[in-house]
Amino acid sequence: MKGSTWVRELRPILFTLPAMIPFTIFWLGPLVYVFYLSFTEWDFMSPDKLFVGLDNYRYLFENPAFYKALGVTLFFCIGTVVPVIVIGLGLALLLNTRMKGRGFYRTLLFSPWVTPTVAVSIVWSWIFEPEAGFANTVLKFFGLPELGWLKDPQWALVGVLIVTIWKLVGWAMIFYMVALNNVPEDLMEAADLDGANRFQRFMRVTLPLISPTTLFLFVVLMIQSLQAYDQINVLTQGGPSGSTRTLLYMYYQSAFESFNIGEASTVATILIIICMLFSLLTMTVSRKTTHY
Amino acid sequence: MASNPRPLSRFVKHLIFAVASLLMAFPFYWMVTSALKTNDEIWRSPPTLWPEVPLWSNFADAWAAAPFWKYMSNSIYVAFAIVLIQIFNSGMMAYALAHMKFRLKGALSALVLLGYMVPSTAVYLPGYLVLSKLQLLDTYTGLIISNCVSVFSIFLIRQAFLQVPHELVEAGQIDGASHMRILWTIIAPIARSSFAVLALITFIDQYNNYFWPMLITKSPEMMLVSAGLRSFFVEGGAYGLKWPLIMAASAFTIAPLLIVFVFTQKTIMQSVNMTAGSQKG
Repeated sequence: MKGSTWVRELRPILFTLPAMIPFTIFWLGPLVYVFYLSFTEWDFMSPDKLFVGLDNYRYLFENPAFYKALGVTLFFCIGTVVPVIVIGLGLALLLNTRMKGRGFYRTLLFSPWVTPTVAVSIVWSWIFEPEAGFANTVLKFFGLPELGWLKDPQWALVGVLIVTIWKLVGWAMIFYMVALNNVPEDLMEAADLDGANRFQRFMRVTLPLISPTTLFLFVVLMIQSLQAYDQINVLTQGGPSGSTRTLLYMYYQSAFESFNIGEASTVATILIIICMLFSLLTMTVSRKTTHY
Repeated sequence: MASNPRPLSRFVKHLIFAVASLLMAFPFYWMVTSALKTNDEIWRSPPTLWPEVPLWSNFADAWAAAPFWKYMSNSIYVAFAIVLIQIFNSGMMAYALAHMKFRLKGALSALVLLGYMVPSTAVYLPGYLVLSKLQLLDTYTGLIISNCVSVFSIFLIRQAFLQVPHELVEAGQIDGASHMRILWTIIAPIARSSFAVLALITFIDQYNNYFWPMLITKSPEMMLVSAGLRSFFVEGGAYGLKWPLIMAASAFTIAPLLIVFVFTQKTIMQSVNMTAGSQKG
C-alpha cells in the first residue's frame, strides 16, 4: 500500500512535468538569476562576475537617464491604457445596438490586432515620414504646422502611442461587446421604469456590471505596455534623444548594446517589481470593488 | 441594450463608424497604394491617392530582393512546432490541475499564476544566458523549447477542463482506462473549441513574434519573418530610397494574417470570451 500512495502522488506530478520543466528552466530560473545578476558587474565576456552588492541600484538611482525612462514608461502606459479602454468601450456601446453592417465594422476594427507589429510599424513609419508622409499631408490640408513626428523628441512618443492604440483598440472593443451582452436586459428595464435616463443607467447599471472587464483590460494592457518593444524598435529605437526610451528599452539597450549586464539586470528587477506590485494591487482592489 | 430607432441618430452612428473604419483601414490602404507607386510618385506632394500607373512589378521585385519565402516558412515551422508542444503540455498540466488530486497542486497553481504577473521580456537577458549555456543559441531547438510553455494556454485549457464533469474521469477509471487515455480520448475532445483557440492564437502570436527570436537567431537564413522584414527595411534604405518595395514587402507579410483572420475570425473572437472566463476561475 505504501507504494501505491507514492504512485498516487507521483502520477499527477508526471503530468505537470512537460510544462513545468521548460517553465522552470526558461522562466523561473531566469527570474532568480536576473535578481542575482543585479548584484554583480559583468560584460558578457570576462570569465568572472564581480559581486558589487547594491552598487548597481545606487548608480541607477543616481542616473538621470533612469528617471527619464521611468517618466517615458509612465506616460506611455497611461497614454496607451486610458485611450484604448475609453475608445474601446465607446465603440462597443455604439456597436452593441442593432445596426446594419455591425459584423463588418467589428471585423474591420479588430483586424489590426492580428497583424505583425513589426510590419505595421514599418507602414506607420512611412505615414509619419516628415517630407512626404501622409500624417503631414493631413496637417497641411487643415492648415496646421507640419511636424517632425518620429524625428522630433516632442512628438516621437505620440507617434508610437498612435500606432499602439491603433493596434489595440479593436481588441478592447471585442471584450466590451462580450461584457455588454451579458448585462441583463431586465435590469436596464427596471432602471428605465424607475425613471433613470440613459446617462444614469449607464453610470449606475452598465458601468458597475462591466467593471470586471475594465479591470482585466487595465491589468493586461498595463503589463503589455510595460513590455512594448517591437513598435519602439522599428519606429524610433528609443530616440530621438531618449524621448521614447522606456524602462524595457533601456534594459534591452544596456544588455544587448552596451553589454552592461549589471545595470540591465537591475532595470529588469525593477520592472518585475513594478509589475508584481501592480498586479497585486489590482487584485486587492478587484476583491473589494468589482461587482460580479 | 435598448436600440435607438431615430433615423438621425442612426445616421450619426453610421457616420462615426464610417470614420472609425476609415481610420483603422487607412494604413493598409496606404501600404498597398504606396507599394504600387514609382519612386518619383511616392515622394510627390500632395500625394496621389491612387498611383497613376500601378506598378505591380514592385511586388515581384520586393519578393526577389530578399528571401521572404524562406523567412515565412521559418516562421510557419517554428510557430507550428510551438503550437503542437503547447497543445500537449497545456493539456497534461490542465488535466492534473483540474482532475487530479495531489499535494503540490496549490503551489504549482500559484507558480503559474505568478507567470501572469511577471513580464516575460524582463527575463530575456537571463533566458538568453541559459540558452547560451545549453549551446542552443541560433538554433530552432532553443527557440522552440524556450517558447513552449504558455501560462495563457494552461489557464485556457484548465478553464475548459473544469467545466467537464469529473464523473467522466471516474467512469473512465472504472473502465480501466489510464489517465493518458482519459485525457486525450474523453476530456480533450469535449474541450476541442478551447484547443482550437489555443492553436490559432498561439500560431498568430508566434508567427508575428519578433523580440525573442531576433535575440536568439543571429544567422540571416534563420530569421523569422518579422526580423527578416525589419532587416530588409533597414538595409533597403529605410531612411530614403526604396519605400515602394518596403511597402510591398510589408503587404505580403501582413496579407496572410489578414486572410487567416477573415476565415477564422469566429474562433479568434471566441478567444475573448474564453480569456475573460479564465480570469474568474
